[in-house]
Amino acid sequence: MISMLCLMLFVPRVFSSSTQVAVIFPQDPALWMGSSLTATCTVSPERGLHANTMYWTLNGKRLPSSTYGLLSPNGLSVTLHRLNGSQQQSGDNLVCHSGDGHVLAGSCLYVGMPPEKPVNLTCWSRNTKDLSCKWTPGGRGETFIKTKYTLKYKLRWYGQERECEEYSTGQRYTCYIPRDLALFTPYEIWVEASNQLGTSTSDVITLDILDVVTTDPPDNVHVSRVGELEDQLTVRWGSPPALKDFLFQAKYQIRYRLEDSTEWKLVDDVGNQTSCRLAGLRAGTVYFVQVRCNPVGIYGSRKAGIWSDWSHPTAASTPHSEPLQSGSCDPKSGEQNSTLRRELKQFFGWVRKHACGCSGMSIKLYDQWRVWLQKSHKTRNHVDSTRR
Amino acid sequence: MSGHVKNMCPQLSISQAARTLLSLLLVAAIDSVSAGVVCRKQPCGSSLQRSLKLTKLIHKESVDLLKTYKVSQGDMSELFCQMSINNVPDPNISGLDPSERMLSIYSHCKAFLPHLKRVTEQQTDLQPPSSALLSKLSTAQNRTNGLANQINCIYQTFFPNLPIPPEPVDGPTSVPPSQNVFQQKVYGCVVLKRFKEFLSRVTRELRTLKSQVCTRRTSFADTNALF
Repeated sequence: MISMLCLMLFVPRVFSSSTQVAVIFPQDPALWMGSSLTATCTVSPERGLHANTMYWTLNGKRLPSSTYGLLSPNGLSVTLHRLNGSQQQSGDNLVCHSGDGHVLAGSCLYVGMPPEKPVNLTCWSRNTKDLSCKWTPGGRGETFIKTKYTLKYKLRWYGQERECEEYSTGQRYTCYIPRDLALFTPYEIWVEASNQLGTSTSDVITLDILDVVTTDPPDNVHVSRVGELEDQLTVRWGSPPALKDFLFQAKYQIRYRLEDSTEWKLVDDVGNQTSCRLAGLRAGTVYFVQVRCNPVGIYGSRKAGIWSDWSHPTAASTPHSEPLQSGSCDPKSGEQNSTLRRELKQFFGWVRKHACGCSGMSIKLYDQWRVWLQKSHKTRNHVDSTRR
Repeated sequence: MSGHVKNMCPQLSISQAARTLLSLLLVAAIDSVSAGVVCRKQPCGSSLQRSLKLTKLIHKESVDLLKTYKVSQGDMSELFCQMSINNVPDPNISGLDPSERMLSIYSHCKAFLPHLKRVTEQQTDLQPPSSALLSKLSTAQNRTNGLANQINCIYQTFFPNLPIPPEPVDGPTSVPPSQNVFQQKVYGCVVLKRFKEFLSRVTRELRTLKSQVCTRRTSFADTNALF
């Protein structure tokens, strides 16, 4: 065994994965920022190298000889004080060279700090089926020592501690528990952060799955005109299918904006209806509309859930003219207006036929009356752009 | 080439008769299969041209891959690439005639693959998950595997009478045993540097092979089939 080792060491300029020309100690250590390190490089005597011809580099920069120590004819040390954090996650390269510059051996230093307590741990469940959690590294964030995060959870009153297994590679600091979650009983959840220098644990949060439920955005969002009314649009949508069997008190929000604007206006008093009339709009204008859902009252829970994402924007345009009133939700009047208009048209047709002296009656007269009505309004309610 | 098999020939052993039958079947087959790769006959020039284009692409990417690798290992990593390491495939293509050289290209592609895989595994532990290096290493593996399959098919098409290239044995000696981090950095650099040099040689070789093998309307394979 020893003769084999010596044989391998005689091969010149070979740095083999199975043998080393020299040995550095410590090899790939993890160190605290600001700490000191003394490393040694020992060359096998058969190499014929003397330690006083060797030198050290750290990340390519030659270290001053004042930091060296001659341990033996074939052993050289270097002492580093007040180490800075590693420059890259793969570690800082501390390399021992022969006098002609050849690499004899190297060691990768991982200089950083133990992890700080993770913070801002929040979790949500999609349709009561799963649980996703996210958190933020504590303090100033991770140093250049790889930190492992483990999300743990257990039922508060019974059950064993379990670990989340599905960590997202796309989004850092998140984990996903896909199944087997209990309802109507609280969970305790926390995150442990660990690296080579230590471990830290977040605060424990307690939650019932039913209190953190979110759902999919409403589907089938349709936006349409309200007859010929130039300042109104009707929005209709479907309740999220995943929760339709037990979503009794969902509430919705609508937001809309002008096509060429980035400013959304929010309609917050929609309640649990699945349609709404927007009023006070600009005539002859394209609007983008989105709807979102909050699964309030799921399975009888009294707490509000978590708002879903906004639905995909749906666009519609108002007919040409000026707006009448400020925005509010009145699902019945929108439908009534189009019905009213149809009936008026029929009525005027009947009047022209059956009533003497009423040949000038028509729906156009009604429209003119409406225009006159708008102009005679002295105050207009402007839709508040910051309504929530 | 005999068009039929003689039956009940007492001079022929069973194994020899079976070999003759097998050879006939292989020659008669339009599609040939080797190591799970289904190959169809391809026009000589276009198949080599496709491989040449793929090689150029992988080579271009290998230049960027090596640069990215060096940056992510930290300063001084240039020196790592110049060190010698055992068991990493050398970049040279060997062989005297076109079939041997094509076989050498194929074997080298297959030989580099486990090393690329090992480097990817090591760097997965050393780099942040979002590191561009990891995706580039993965791409290099996929493309090299594709190139190996292409060369395999071309070889079978042009040299149908020659033995099907055997799969290289990925034994425990083909990739190094566990290494410390510094050794991993050196190893990765050596692998990627030699990989880049190999691809450069393959580019030149395929150009030469195209002119040698695909001359006018007579392919080298057809000429070989006459003997």
